[in-house]
This record gives sequence, C-alpha cells and structure tokens, in this order.
Amino acid sequence: MVENLVEVVGVKKWFPVAQGFIAGLTGAPKEYVRAVDGVTFEIRKGEVFGLAGESGSGKSTVGRLVLRLLDPTDGSVVFDGVDLVSLSHEEMRTLRHRMQVVFQDPLASLNPRMTIGQAIEHPLKIHMPQLSAEDRHARALEMLDQVGLAPPEFFFAKYPHQISGGQRQRVVFARGMITAPDLIVADEPIAMADVSVRALLLDLMMELKDEFDLTYLFITHDLATAKYVCNRIAVMYLGKIVEIGPLEAVYTNAQHPYTRALLDAVPVPDPKHRRTEPLPAGEIPNPINPPPGCNFHPRCPIAQAGICDGIEPILLPVGGDPEHLVSCHLRTGEYQDLDPFK
Amino acid sequence: MEDFLYSVRGLNVRYATRSGDVHAVEDVSLDIRRGEILGLVGESGCGKSTFGKAIMRMIRTPGRIESGELWFDGADLMTYSGRQMQSVRGGEIGMVFQDPMTSLNPVQRVAEHLTETIRTHEPKVSELAAMARAEELVEKLGIRRERLDDYPHQLSGGMRQRVMISLALALRAKLVIADEPTTSLDVIVEAKFLDLLRELRDEFDLTILMITHNIGVVAEVADRVAVMYAGRMAEIGDVYGVFAEPKHPYTVGLLNSVPNIDLDEHDLYKMEGAPPNLLSPPSGCPFHPRCPKAMDICAAEVPVLHEVVPGQATACWLYDGVGVAGG
Amino acid sequence: MALQTPTSHEQEWREDLRKVGFVRRLLAGRHWYGTDWWLVAISAVMVLGFITLALFPSLFAPYSPDEQAGPRFLAPGASPDLPVLVSLATSGITELADLAVPTGEPRPSVGVVRGVPTAQALNDRAQELNQELNGTGMELRPRIARFDSLDELLRAVDDGTVVAAVVQSTEFEQLAGDFPTVGEGMSIAGGVSSEGGFILGTNQIGQDVFSRLIWGTRIALLIGFSASIIALVVGVPLGLLAGFTGGMLDRILSVIMDSLYAFPGLILAISITAVLGPSVLNVIVAIAVLYVPTYYRIVRGQTLSVKEELYIEAARSIGAKSSEILRKYIYPNVIPSVAIIFSVNVADAILTGAGLSFLGLGLPPDTADWGIDLARGQGFIQNAWWLITFPGFAIMLVVLAFTMMGEGLMEIFNPKLRQR
Repeated sequence: MVENLVEVVGVKKWFPVAQGFIAGLTGAPKEYVRAVDGVTFEIRKGEVFGLAGESGSGKSTVGRLVLRLLDPTDGSVVFDGVDLVSLSHEEMRTLRHRMQVVFQDPLASLNPRMTIGQAIEHPLKIHMPQLSAEDRHARALEMLDQVGLAPPEFFFAKYPHQISGGQRQRVVFARGMITAPDLIVADEPIAMADVSVRALLLDLMMELKDEFDLTYLFITHDLATAKYVCNRIAVMYLGKIVEIGPLEAVYTNAQHPYTRALLDAVPVPDPKHRRTEPLPAGEIPNPINPPPGCNFHPRCPIAQAGICDGIEPILLPVGGDPEHLVSCHLRTGEYQDLDPFK
Repeated sequence: MEDFLYSVRGLNVRYATRSGDVHAVEDVSLDIRRGEILGLVGESGCGKSTFGKAIMRMIRTPGRIESGELWFDGADLMTYSGRQMQSVRGGEIGMVFQDPMTSLNPVQRVAEHLTETIRTHEPKVSELAAMARAEELVEKLGIRRERLDDYPHQLSGGMRQRVMISLALALRAKLVIADEPTTSLDVIVEAKFLDLLRELRDEFDLTILMITHNIGVVAEVADRVAVMYAGRMAEIGDVYGVFAEPKHPYTVGLLNSVPNIDLDEHDLYKMEGAPPNLLSPPSGCPFHPRCPKAMDICAAEVPVLHEVVPGQATACWLYDGVGVAGG
Repeated sequence: MALQTPTSHEQEWREDLRKVGFVRRLLAGRHWYGTDWWLVAISAVMVLGFITLALFPSLFAPYSPDEQAGPRFLAPGASPDLPVLVSLATSGITELADLAVPTGEPRPSVGVVRGVPTAQALNDRAQELNQELNGTGMELRPRIARFDSLDELLRAVDDGTVVAAVVQSTEFEQLAGDFPTVGEGMSIAGGVSSEGGFILGTNQIGQDVFSRLIWGTRIALLIGFSASIIALVVGVPLGLLAGFTGGMLDRILSVIMDSLYAFPGLILAISITAVLGPSVLNVIVAIAVLYVPTYYRIVRGQTLSVKEELYIEAARSIGAKSSEILRKYIYPNVIPSVAIIFSVNVADAILTGAGLSFLGLGLPPDTADWGIDLARGQGFIQNAWWLITFPGFAIMLVVLAFTMMGEGLMEIFNPKLRQR
C-alpha cells in the first residue's frame, strides 16, 4: 500500500467577482470565478505528479491550495495525515518547512534586496533557529554546491540580478530544498529558462529528488516536458480534472477528447510529423459561467446532446485500469455505448 | 536567380550600454524568398528580435544600425527617408508582436484600429470602404463581425493575435514579421494560429518571417529555418534538412535538448555553459566555449556562412572546404 | 553531477566590471543616461556647494551677519565712502587713537565739514575708543569744530587751527593736491580696510548683504533638512504599516493624511507656527507636519504594490512571519524611492521656510535668513534693488539645485531599474 503524501478531496476555490455598489444593494446574485471547481487526487510519496492544463485551467491555484497559500472555499487538503485547513496560521507556518514551492519566474520570486546567501539562509533561520550562524552558512554553501552553483562563496554574495536566469532558478531550488522538505510544488519551473538550459534544470530536479527523497507536484502547460519527468499526470480543464493516470496510460491511450486534443496540439520538433488532426472548435469559456453539464461539451467533437450538456461527468476508471480515470460520459459509466468513434 | 523578397547583407546592430557597446547583431546576411515562411530561432539574447526590428528600421537609441544593406523588393531601405519608411511600415511590411495586449491601444475599438490603419496609409479610402474591408478581413480570420466593436481587453489572447495579423493584412503587406507571436498563447490556440498563418500565406501570397525560440513551432509551420547564436547566423536551410541533419553543433545541441512528445524514451542533451556576454563576445566563433567539437581555429577566427549541402548553409570550421563557397 | 560552473570567460568579465572604479563608472554613465546625468552632476555639485557654505559660513563670509560694518544702502560693487582722519603729515597722527591725551590735559580739536554725517561717525568711534581707555589715565574726547566747506577745513589743518580732521576719503582725494602738507591717515572705522568691500552692497542698517546670504544658507538648509528628516521618520513607518496591514488602520491613517495633504501648504504651516510661537524649532516642526503625508502616501503606495510581488508570496511560503516580511522584504524595496523624493522634499521645505519667515512668522527677527531679508527689503525696491534680488536669487538657486538633483535621480533610477 503506497503512502499518500497529499490527499486533495473535493477542493474548490471560487473567487468572488467584485460587484458594483448598486448590484450589491439590489441583491443581485453574486458571481464567482470558479478557478478550481471540485478537484480530487492524491500525490504518492516519492513520485513526480504532473498537473497539466492550459491557462485558466486552475492548475496554479491548485498548487497554491496544496500549500495553503490560499484557503479553499470547500473541500479538504490533507498533508501527511494532517488536515491543513484545520490548522491555525501559526501552526501552518511551522509546518511550511516540509512543503516548499518553486515558482515560474525566478527573478520575481527572489527578493531583489537580499543576496543569494541571505535568501537561502532565511528558511533555515525561521525553521531551525537552533543552528549557529556558522552551521547555517555551511549548509547554505553546501546547498549551493549541490544545485551546481560553484564556487558557492562566489554566488553567496551576489544579488539576483547579477546572475543568469538559469542560475537564478537553481537558487530558487536551493532555497526550496534547504529545509529538506517532503513535498516540492514546482509551478512551471523551467518555463522562463533558456531552451538549452532547461534540460540541465530538469536533470538537476531529478537528481535532487533522489538525493533528498522528495515528492514533486509538477505544474505545467508543456506536455512534452511533463512526459519527460512525470510518473503520473492529471489534466485539468476549467477548474476540473478531466483525466488522471499513469504517464504511459494517459499519453498513449488518452481517453478524454480534451486530452487528445491537447496532446495533438503540442508542436513536435520534427517537420515530418506535422499535425493533421482537427482541433476543438471555439475557445476556453469564461470561468465565471462555465457551460452546464460537462464543461468541455461546447467544443467536444463527440458531445452527445441531452447527456453531455446536462449531466456533469465524474472521474471513473476506464479500460479496466483502476489507476486511469476519465471524466467523460462516453468513455465510462452507462453511456459508453454511445461513443460514435468506438 | 532566385526571387528574394528581402535580402539583408552584412547587418550590424549595436546597442550602447553603460559598459560599452553590445554587438546585438553581428554581420548577418539573410535572404527571404517570396511566399515562404522562414523561421528564425535562437535563445534569448541571440539577436533575433533585434534583427526583426532592424529590418523594419525600428531600432531606436541606445541602439543603432551600424552598417548593412536592406534590399526589400529591389530597394535598399537604408537609403529611405523617415517618411518613406513610415509608408513601408505597415504598408509593405507588417509586424505581429508577442504580447498583443500591450501592442493594441486599449481605448480604441478593434474596428477603429483597422479603419484608422487603412486610412492612414491610403487616405483616399472612405470611412465606409475601410470599414467594409475590415469586416471582410476579419471574417476571413475567423473573428465574428460583432467583435469589431469590442475593445482589446474584451478579446481573448488568440483573438487579439488575429487582430494583429488582420492589421498587417489590411494594408496588403507583402512581408509579415511575427516576433514570438504564440509565446503567450495556450497550446491549442497556438496550433490554430499556426494553421491560420499557413492558410493566410496561401491565400494572400504572404511572406512570413517567424521569430521564435520554440523549435516545435518552427518545425510545425516553417519552410526554411535560420538559427542565430550570439548575434551571428549559425545555420540556415530547408527545414527538413536542418532537422534531419543539423550541421552546426549548436543546432545539434538545440534540437536534442528539446523534449519530443512523440518519442517514448530519450535523453535530453545538456548543453554546457551559458549564452555569452555580448559586451565582450568570445573571440572567433562565439559558440566555441560551449562546443563539444571545438578546434584551435574556432577560438581564433570567425567562420563564414557558406552552403555545405544544397539548400543548407552553416558557419562552422568543421565544414571548412566542404560544399560551395558563398552560398 | 552536471556542474554549472560559470565558464571562466564569463566570470572574468563580471570580475572586470567590478574592478572598474566607481569614478570611471560614474563618468561612463554620461553616455548612457544622457541629459539626466548632466542634470544630476551639475545639481549635485551645487548642492554640495551649498552644504559647504552652510557648514562653514565664516570661511566664506567676510563679515558676521549682524555686524553693521558699512554704510547703509551701499550699492553692490560701490566702494564705501569711509571717513578718514587727515592731519599734517608732520604731526605723526595717523589714526583716531593717536588723539588720546592724558586726563586733564586740553582736548584736541577735530574738524568736520558741516552737514556731512562724518561727525556722527567720529563721535561714535571716539566714544568707543574712549571706553577702552577707561582707567588708563588717558582719554579721547575731541572737540568738534565745524567748517562750512572742505576747503576751509583743510586750510585749518594746514595752519594748525585744528589738530586733525575727519573727511570722506573720496572728497579729500580731489583736493589733496592743493594741500600737500596734509596726509591721509587711517579710516576711523577702526581696522577694517575699505578693500574688504561689500560686493553685494549693504542693507538699511549697514550689514553686508553677501555675508548675510552666506549665513542665511545655514538656516535655510537646517530647516530644510531637519523638517524633511522628521517628516520621513514619521511618515515612512506609518506608510509601511498602513500599506501592509490595510483594514481599519489604513483607512483612518489615510483619511488623516489626505486631509493634511489637502491643505495648502503655507497656510497650514502658518497656522502651526502661529500657535507654537516663533523659534527655529517650531518652524521645523510646522514644516515637518506639512510633509509627513507626502512620505506616507509614497511609501504606502509602494508597499501596496510590493506586497503583490511574487517574492513576498515566496517568503510566506517559506514560513516567514509578517513582521519579518515587513522588515526584510518590503522595507528595503520601498526605501529607494523615498531617498529620491527626499531631495525634492528638501527643496520644497526650504521654500516653505523662506515663505514663513518672509511673512514674519516663525523665526526670531534677529536671525540671518533670506526670507527675513526679503521681507525687510521689499520696501526699498526702488532705491536699493539689491536688498531683495540677491536673497531671492539665493532661494531660487538652492531650490533649483535640490529639485534638479531629485528629479534627475528619479529619471535615472526609475525607468532604468529594469537595466540594473
């Protein structure tokens, strides 16, 4: 029985839309941006769990909810058996050293007025106050070395704007890992690095994972990268998970029409393999007013009137694989026979 | 002799900074054929965006075009006056930028953008006629007529990019320079946009220069591809040829460092080092500090771009003596 | 393990950049920043000059500001017509002190021309010297003899009727040729040579305008800097707190600050000084109160925007406490803009201070201050234009210097922040 490090159950995050004064007075119904609309999954210890989707899918919000940088509107987030929402702010703060985040933009996530050394030492100061200054310094240098920033003393005294983008991202890794966390939430960690540097960063992430026994929640819109590093993957659309399962299963046997479209649309760096499949019509709808029923149905090539536009699908296993779940009426459940492409 | 729409010869662009001059584009020569989609790839700082701006003569202080010839449709743009360039920009050469949110005027409706552009370049066109042209154009691009009354912030990213293209098409530009047009778009929208570019090229006889760091996009849509590194042209050629058998070690590294979703298992190539500082670029070939195949001559002299197989040219000492000189 | 060492080449150039001296980088900035560089450079030199004047006024000012060293209403550049003692060259009398005689002995007679103010000067000076001679057994109490014309007076010197005479040196020079036996002695004003001069003239009570200008710098800069610093010390923490915590505290503070800010500055300052009474400290406090809202608003605005930055969220994610975030993350990023505003603020404070003293409020009337000089001089604008021109010019120059420096720095640091 594999241990679940994180369990997310039915989590929702609805952001209220600012209402006009008059509308507030007349009691007009409040509107919400349904960034995350009922998401359930678990992250197993030691795996790289991918969360993929386009902009507006809610993946970044899920990342923040897992870290409790945002409070969920509904649902629960359980970290290593502890219900995060039930903790007070102070308790949560002391738990933070076990779950760290790596953001997309390293320049924006580093305090421009702190040297790199100070930035890396800071988590140690907060969570391990018993360490002496020398010990702290030594650990920071060691960490810099491990992320490949050598000689570490050279980088210790630098400011973020004095080093390159790839090096900055390494600093962000170092800061995230110095307290030996259990979970790292990586939100588009390599999107802003140069193409030739990305492979190095990915390798570094995997090495550090082995070295420190980490678990990753890898949030990305780049399915090609996700394929390179993830063990399991969930695809999100408009605040809900549409498909989730082991990497192989999802990539080679994608069931949800959206997943198929997404995989198909990824540009392949090989001119001999240009895309031929048609793309879903329309665009991502407004998250304030998602379509009724299955929220992909207006764009779906196999949507069935009367079912897909009225009833919301749920995640169910498909194809006999209990690990591979899809949220589509025509792939699972009672309406399977209606699939025109079967 | 090939019919080139745009021939750039020996372009040099410099930027003045506090610490000296940055050689943003260094001795680049490039030909753009009529009706082709040419992909210009490179990483950040390689000079591709600067190149795109330079061929529209849109370089402002502290940058300057140090030297070079810009032969567009038979005339050297470097000899044009400010006024002449104004009519070329938009009228003959259009540009589509990366972030359409900031390149469209937020207080102007889409319709006004189009009609104003048309009437600025062709003052004789009446308001009504311009509007009719705008509507027709916008339909072709898959935007509903009603959207013409919207403001830019009411449109999605993909739509805004399409509005940008329609601005270029409205004036029947011959060449469209697209600078990272899909970087801010989602994957599906990006795919649709690329499809659209291909259709437009076929229908309107456009020539497109696509500047991007995304190799996949280039593979998807380009006819030829040019690779830039540290302000210089490293390799240029037919897209099938370059991807199947890249010649320049940088191109080899670049192509192998990008994850390919179609492949089951593959190791990504890790390129050592980092892009060079353009204030004091390395001597000789700018790639030599990172090149796994560097030789002594690479640090001493700059290699010359020449054709090594038909349809593919590269600037690398590995191919010194191979192929045809002066390609 | 893939080691991402900066290649030696790259490391070199970064090291080289650090070795380039500060001065050289400063000069190299000329090309990069263009006009702004020159603005800042010139105004920085001016500001430094003013600060030096304020710190060491006695080095630059020929006279002390209260000293009534010269004649009244002397125009700039004109040499003062100092009364001098003239006597027979053979008598050996060269200065007024030489006329002292032992007590009891007959008093010497000294001649003056009727109707010329030299008599007064003679009397004053003689009395001064007499005081000094008290107790020495000597006294200096010359008998004053009046003559109708200079010609007569000199004749009297010549034939011994008077021991000496006190005349205007310029007039004497005209007739000196006719009386070869009479020699010019020292000026009776006691030691101050007429070459000292009053380059910018004197005011209505004989004080040197130039010296007062120099000494006025001290007060002006003192008020300007002190008021700005106090305003900063009060406004910045309040702004940080309000921006960071928001809520009720923010609302209350902002309402107070906005109301203060809405007041026309000078009027507010006037009312405060009127209540507190005249003294330098009160002026400083009044002006400081005026500028607290400026710092508050700027810091609050900056805090609000910095609060949304990703590195603040990152700080929260590593578990930093709110107070730490405020201290280490927000404060250092907000301060640079304050430093730039400070310069413009000092200029503003100096102007307000001058305005206050011009209206006669705040400063004790015997202070050497430009505003006071302006106020006193305005009645004489027809006859003695230099009394208000130079103080006014000084105010303008100082305010200009600080403003230019502040604006130049703002241009340099703000848009170019990206290029750091």
